Amino acid sequence: MASAEISRLGVQKAPAEGPPKPLDWRRFGIYVVLFAGVLIAVGPFLWMISASFMTLSEVNLTRLLPEKLLWENYATALRRANFLDIELVSDPVTGVLQSFGVSGYIWNSVRITLITVVGSLLVCIPAAYAFARMRFVGRNFLFALFLSTMMIPGIVMLIPHLLTVIWLGRLSESLFGAAGAWFNNWPALTIPFFASVFNIFLLRQFFLQIPDDLWEAARIDGAGHPRFLVSVVLPLSKAPIMTIVTLGFIGSWNALMWPLLVTISDDWRPIAVGLSNFVTADTPGDLNLQMAASVITVIPILALYFVAQKQFTEGIAQTGIKS
Amino acid sequence: MFRGGLDAEYMLNTRRGRILIENLTAYAFLGPAGCLIALFGLFPVAFAFFVSLHRWRRFPDEYIGLANYEKALGNLGYILFFWLSLLGFAATAMMARRLLKTLRRARWSAEWPALAAGAVSGFALLLTIDWFFKLIPVIMLIPRLVRGQDTSLALFMEKFGESFASSGVHEAGNAMLVGLLAAVVSLSIVLRRFRSDASGELIVFSAITTALSAGSAYLLQLTLQETELAIAQAREAGERLPVWSQLVFISAGIGMIAAAYVLFQRGIKALENRRFIFMIFSGLSLAVGGYLVMAEAPAALAAGDDDLLQGFWVTVMYAGGTVPVQLTIGLLLAYLLFQPIRFRAFFRMVYFIPYITPFVATSIVFRVIFDAGKTAPANRMLTLVGIEPQRWILERSSLGSLLGLPDFLAGPALALVVIMIYSTWTYIGYDAVIFLAGLGNIPGELYEAARIDGAGGWRIFRHITLPLLSPTIFFLSLVAIIGTFQAFTQIWILRTGAVGSKVNTASVYIFDELQNSNRYGYASSMAFVLFALILLMTLFQNRIMGRRVFYG
Repeated sequence: MASAEISRLGVQKAPAEGPPKPLDWRRFGIYVVLFAGVLIAVGPFLWMISASFMTLSEVNLTRLLPEKLLWENYATALRRANFLDIELVSDPVTGVLQSFGVSGYIWNSVRITLITVVGSLLVCIPAAYAFARMRFVGRNFLFALFLSTMMIPGIVMLIPHLLTVIWLGRLSESLFGAAGAWFNNWPALTIPFFASVFNIFLLRQFFLQIPDDLWEAARIDGAGHPRFLVSVVLPLSKAPIMTIVTLGFIGSWNALMWPLLVTISDDWRPIAVGLSNFVTADTPGDLNLQMAASVITVIPILALYFVAQKQFTEGIAQTGIKS
Repeated sequence: MFRGGLDAEYMLNTRRGRILIENLTAYAFLGPAGCLIALFGLFPVAFAFFVSLHRWRRFPDEYIGLANYEKALGNLGYILFFWLSLLGFAATAMMARRLLKTLRRARWSAEWPALAAGAVSGFALLLTIDWFFKLIPVIMLIPRLVRGQDTSLALFMEKFGESFASSGVHEAGNAMLVGLLAAVVSLSIVLRRFRSDASGELIVFSAITTALSAGSAYLLQLTLQETELAIAQAREAGERLPVWSQLVFISAGIGMIAAAYVLFQRGIKALENRRFIFMIFSGLSLAVGGYLVMAEAPAALAAGDDDLLQGFWVTVMYAGGTVPVQLTIGLLLAYLLFQPIRFRAFFRMVYFIPYITPFVATSIVFRVIFDAGKTAPANRMLTLVGIEPQRWILERSSLGSLLGLPDFLAGPALALVVIMIYSTWTYIGYDAVIFLAGLGNIPGELYEAARIDGAGGWRIFRHITLPLLSPTIFFLSLVAIIGTFQAFTQIWILRTGAVGSKVNTASVYIFDELQNSNRYGYASSMAFVLFALILLMTLFQNRIMGRRVFYG
C-alpha cells in the first residue's frame, strides 16, 4: 500500500487543470492558510535562530530579534557542550603540523553514522540481492521472518540488546583487549543496526526492477552472481543507496534512547545525548546557549535536507519512520 | 548427490550442481545479515520473555515465574497469560487445519512417515530451544565471573566450556543431541524412501504444529501452576485471590462486547424491520459486557503497578489527543496543496522540515517556548489575547481542572498537552506529504464525472476523495498510533521534575525503571505487556478499520 504512494511522491506533477487562473478570493484564502502553515512550521526555527544570538535577558523577555548578534554564544556553546574540539599541535620551531585531533559529540555522531551506514550497506546489499535475484530453499520463509522483526517495538528489544552487547563485549575484550570493548564504544552503537530489515526491503524492491535481460547477458559473458552484483547492479542502484545513506544519517543523528543506555563517557557519546545532557543537566538556565546548541545540531540535517530533498521525502514515505 | 565427486566440472556442468552452487552462494550472501538479524531481531523476543520470568538485575537471578507480571498488572497478569495460551492453541488449530487440508490431497497410508518425521523434527526444535535457554543464564554469568580478573581469551573460553558441562545444561544438551539425531535419521528415511510431492509441505506443517502445541501447552501449564501457587500463598495469608472468577467474568465481558460489535454490524446490514431487534441485542450485550469488565477489571488490576497503569492511561490520552488532530490538519493542508496553486514544491518542502529535524533540538525549542516564565513566548501570546499566563511544562494540573471542569473530565496534565502540541507540530507535515501522494493517486476522471453530475466541493470531498483516500488514512493512523507507543525523545526532553510521572507514557516509564533501578526482569515483563497491547491493537485496527478501507 505504502509503496504505491511512494513511487509518485517525488515526481508528482500539478493536477491537469491548466495554468493557474488570476487571483480570486477562494484561491487567496488557500494561500492565506498555506502561508499560515508555513509560519507555524518554521516559526519555532526562526525564533530559535534569532534567540541563539540574544543575551539571556533578551530571550527571557521574548524579544523577536536580538539587539546585537552575539556570535560568542556559538563559541561558548561549542566549548561548554563539548560539541566539537579540534586540536592542532604544531612544532613550536618549524610550525609544521605534528598531530591533529578531533573530538566532541558532532565528531562522534559523524563517526557513528559512517560506520553504521558503511556496515549496513555491506551487510544489506548481498542479502537484498539474494532475496531479489536468486533462487534458494526457504527464500520466502526467510524473507517473511526478516520482515516480521520490523513489527517488534523497540522497548522490548532494549534489554536483550543490552545484555547481548555486554556479553559480546566481554568476549571481544578478552580477544582484543580494552580496545575491543562493546559497551561505551562504537560496536554497541553501530553493529546492532547493521542488518536493517528496512534497508534490505528497500534494496530488494529496487533490485527486482532490474531487467532480466541484463542478467542473461552477463551470464552469457561468464559472470556469476557476485560479479553481476558488483559490476552491473551496484552502479545502477545509486538512488536507493543514497536514500539509505540519508536515512541512516538522520537515524544516527536522532538516536537517543539506546545511546543513553550504552554510553557512560564522552568518548563515543553521540550528539543527541550530548545535547540532551547539556540542556537537562548542565545549563538549566542558559536558554540562549541552549538555542545556539540546538541550531548547531539542526544545521547538518537541514543542509543535507536541502541538498538531498528527494531522497528524504521518498525514503521517509517508504519507511513511514524516521529512525 | 556427490557421486561425481566435488570437482569443478561436475558442479558447473550439471543442473544439480548449478542449483547447489546457487543455493550456497545465496546463503553466503545472506549469512552476515541473517546472523545479525537472528541475534538482534529474533532472539531478543524470546530472550526478553525469558528475562521477564526471572529476578534479574544486570545478572540472572532466581526464576520467579509470573511474579513480575503480577507485580505489573495484578491478577490481570495471570488472566493475560491464559488468553495468550488460548491464542497459542488457536494458532495450533489453524496450523493443524492447513495440515489436514494438505493431507486430504494425499494418501494417508503413504504420508504418515512424513508426518512422523515432522513431529520428531518439531520435538528436536523444542529440545534445542530448551537447551539454549538452560545455557543462557549460565553463559550470562561469565562476564561477572571473569570481572576483575585478567581478561584473557583462555579464561573466557575456559568458563565458556565449563558452562556447557554444567548440571542441567549437560542433560538438556544430550537430550537435544538425541532429538536432532532422530530428526536427521527420520527425515533422511522419509526423503529417500517415502518421498512424494506433498512431503516437504507435510513435514514443515507437522513440525510447526508440534512445536506450537507444545509451546502453548507449556504456557498453559506455566499459567496454571503460577496461579495455583499465588492462590495458595494468598490462602496461607488468610486472603482470597479470586483469579478464577475474574478470569471468567472479564473474559465473558470482553466476549460480550465483541458480540455486541458483531450484532451491530449485522444490524446495519439487516432489513429495516429486523434491524431494531439486532440493535436491542447489541445494546444489551454491550451494556452487560461493559458492566462485567468495569466491575471486575479494577479489582483484578488492584495489585498492579500504579505507575505503569498511569503510563498506559497517559499513552491513551496522548494518542487520542494527537492522532485525530494531526490527521485532520494534515489532510486539510494536503487538500489545499492539491488545488491548482503556485509554489507547491516549496510548501511541501517547508512542511516537512519539523519532521526531519532532530527531535532533541526541536523539543528544546518547545521547552523554551512553553517555559513557565511570564514572558516566555507562549505566555506572551496568551497575554496578548487576554488570558492568564500558564505554567505549561511545569503544570501538573490537568487542562480540564484549569478550565474548572470536574475531575473525571479533567484529561491530560497541561505539561502533557505541551508534548501533544509538539507531536502534532512534528507530524502534520509528514501526514500532509503522504496524503498529497494519496490524492495524486485518485484518477482525475472521477472528479470530472462527479462535477458533471452536479456535485459541489464538499460532496466531492465526502463521497470521492475521502473513500478513495481511506487506505492512506488507515496507514497513517496505524503509523501514528504505533508512534505514540514508541514516543521517547520528546517526552524525555519536555518533562520536568515538577510534573513527575504525569507525562510518562508506558515506554518512558519502562525505560526509567531499566535505567534507574536496573530491574531488568521487571522492565522486560512490562515491555512484553506493552508488546502484547500493540499487537492486539494492530490486529483490532486491521479488522475494524481495515474492513472499511476501500482499495478501489
